[in-house]
Amino acid sequence: MNLSLMTAYVVVISLYVNLGIALYGVFARPSLVKKLLAITILSDTANAFAVLVGYRWPASGTPKPPVYTNTTFNNQTLHYYVSHAVDPLPQALVLTAIVIGLAVTMFIAFIIIQYYRLHGTVDVRKARR
Amino acid sequence: MMIYTPLGIVPLMLTFAAFAIPLLTLIIKKEWFYHLYALVFSIIALCYTAENFWLVVYGVKQPVSYLFGGWIAPLGIVYTVDGLGAVLGLLVGIDMVLIVLYSIWYMRGEEGIEWYYTLLLLLESAMIGIVYTGDIFNLFVMIELLAISAYGLVGFYRHKKEAIEAAIKYALIGATATTMFFLSIVYIYGTYGTVNMADLALKARLPWITRYIPQAAAYFAHLSGTGYGNPIVATAIAIALALWAFTFKAAVFPNYFWLPDAHPEAPTPVSAALSGLVVKMGAYATIRLLYTIFGVGSLIDASAAGGWSLRDVILFIILLLGAVSAMIGSLVMIIQNDIKRILAYSTIDHLGIIFMGIGVAMHSVSQAVVAIALTGVVLHMINHSFGKTMLFMASGIYIKNSGTRDITRMRGIGRLLPVTSLVMIIGLLHLLGVPPFGGFFSKLLIYNALIGAGQVVFALILILSTAISMLGYMRIIVNLILPPRPPELIGKARESIPATTILCVLAAIIIIIGIYCLTGGINTLQSIIEPSTTLKGLVQYIDSTFSTYMLPR
Repeated sequence: MNLSLMTAYVVVISLYVNLGIALYGVFARPSLVKKLLAITILSDTANAFAVLVGYRWPASGTPKPPVYTNTTFNNQTLHYYVSHAVDPLPQALVLTAIVIGLAVTMFIAFIIIQYYRLHGTVDVRKARR
Repeated sequence: MMIYTPLGIVPLMLTFAAFAIPLLTLIIKKEWFYHLYALVFSIIALCYTAENFWLVVYGVKQPVSYLFGGWIAPLGIVYTVDGLGAVLGLLVGIDMVLIVLYSIWYMRGEEGIEWYYTLLLLLESAMIGIVYTGDIFNLFVMIELLAISAYGLVGFYRHKKEAIEAAIKYALIGATATTMFFLSIVYIYGTYGTVNMADLALKARLPWITRYIPQAAAYFAHLSGTGYGNPIVATAIAIALALWAFTFKAAVFPNYFWLPDAHPEAPTPVSAALSGLVVKMGAYATIRLLYTIFGVGSLIDASAAGGWSLRDVILFIILLLGAVSAMIGSLVMIIQNDIKRILAYSTIDHLGIIFMGIGVAMHSVSQAVVAIALTGVVLHMINHSFGKTMLFMASGIYIKNSGTRDITRMRGIGRLLPVTSLVMIIGLLHLLGVPPFGGFFSKLLIYNALIGAGQVVFALILILSTAISMLGYMRIIVNLILPPRPPELIGKARESIPATTILCVLAAIIIIIGIYCLTGGINTLQSIIEPSTTLKGLVQYIDSTFSTYMLPR
């Protein structure tokens, strides 16, 4: 097993741990602000996961951005590009998801402010009493 | 081949119309303008959805598609509409026009009407996008759009503590659920290398499809690559994560807790839209995932030990969740006093029945039974949509007149509002499933399908939950209509003509559905819906997605 693949395993495992922490935060923490933070962690984890799916581990050298930078064009450079460039589509998906996530986070943040104005607290346990 | 523009134009038009409202508020301050604006755009959307319905069912007689920006199918976003999508799109179109008309009466004089219509038009745009889209990532975007506008509408009365609490509960868990759906798409993309539904459907059952379209497999392997990793495990995880989001949207058993808070706290027309239409989108997405993409003959459908495939297990879980939520909905409904809460729990009950219908299509079940089940599911969506919209609208008239939502405090008010009460009774009998109305036929179809599939226990649960829910419905009638007229409201309570006219239109629609079902309408609906369950229909679906540019036959 080469080093970069082992890094990938570490990244994947830490992403799963992150996922667990975020879900714990959303469901178990009483503070609404911490719930919101947990949701941002969750969506960032999902986004990092998507970028990881599009990542490439070439047999030699390092992965390249998906832009064809060579001035010459032949079979050899094309082969090099195809086997080294990362997949751009998950990055496009992540970009969309980030924009949507921004809207959701903004909405939840505003509604937490409104909740604070009405209840005087952001703790759901205290507000219920 | 033609590209059908009316498909792509509806969600775009509605989105632009919605986002133009905040700009228009800088110039125009008159309230009637926004009412008229929303009405005009919802009617235009209705015309387009009707045109699309006509195209799919009578014009082209097979699924039609639209490519956004001219990008060919597996690379760009594509809208593909088959019979199922066309029927539900038309349902959204009709229902939203009635809801906007009712809003003009109900929301007049309210503060912030322009923001209300911005969100309502976005809601309609998202729903039409969901039923038309042929791209699973676009489905995610549309579900998020639907979710954000629904959160906003639930919290519309932002000075009420309950409304804000309901909106927060809905938004926090909703954001988690949709993020899980995004994770599911990541799994699907990582495994299949595509997010296009037709392409996914194709790759999920290569050996079967290549029998029908020999060149297709090679072509798609060329365009979007072949599979990676262990597809069965990845698909199972992806379906589990996606079903979390879809059952959340549809308020089915483990994820139903937000609905009894969110639906009653929204303004009444929004309750009608949320209960009548928005929850159906979860059921629709489940049908697309388990019938079109990972349906008959897909790699998770291969029969393993004991004649059970992975798809059977998933469908059985859906059946079980549907049964549990039907029971919970009907049982909790009978102890509620808030009229809108009773209707909200009734929604959980009916969505449970719809999910029981979706869960029928197992390995051992014959094609005819599956077609009956899906016809029943779609008919029940239509029936429940009109019925619940009507009931919420009628309850809004009671609430406006009595100033309370508690049925024990509005005793006898139904006698002062005769037309509303008549419509209310028709709606309740319709949802209960009393024969002349449409609700009977859809429950009968799902019951027949469950019996035909050998799921006798679940068929009995369907009957049982209906019987229990009768108690809840009867409590509304007993409290509102049987006691003597409340003296303090005599002379004050009155029905306004616009609201009762809309109710009468909805009652007429319900009676027409009943008559239509009696005179052979079920067979017509079945002929429209059936292609969504068969391999032949699937080939047509894939064909229409890709035939705009290629596939030498």
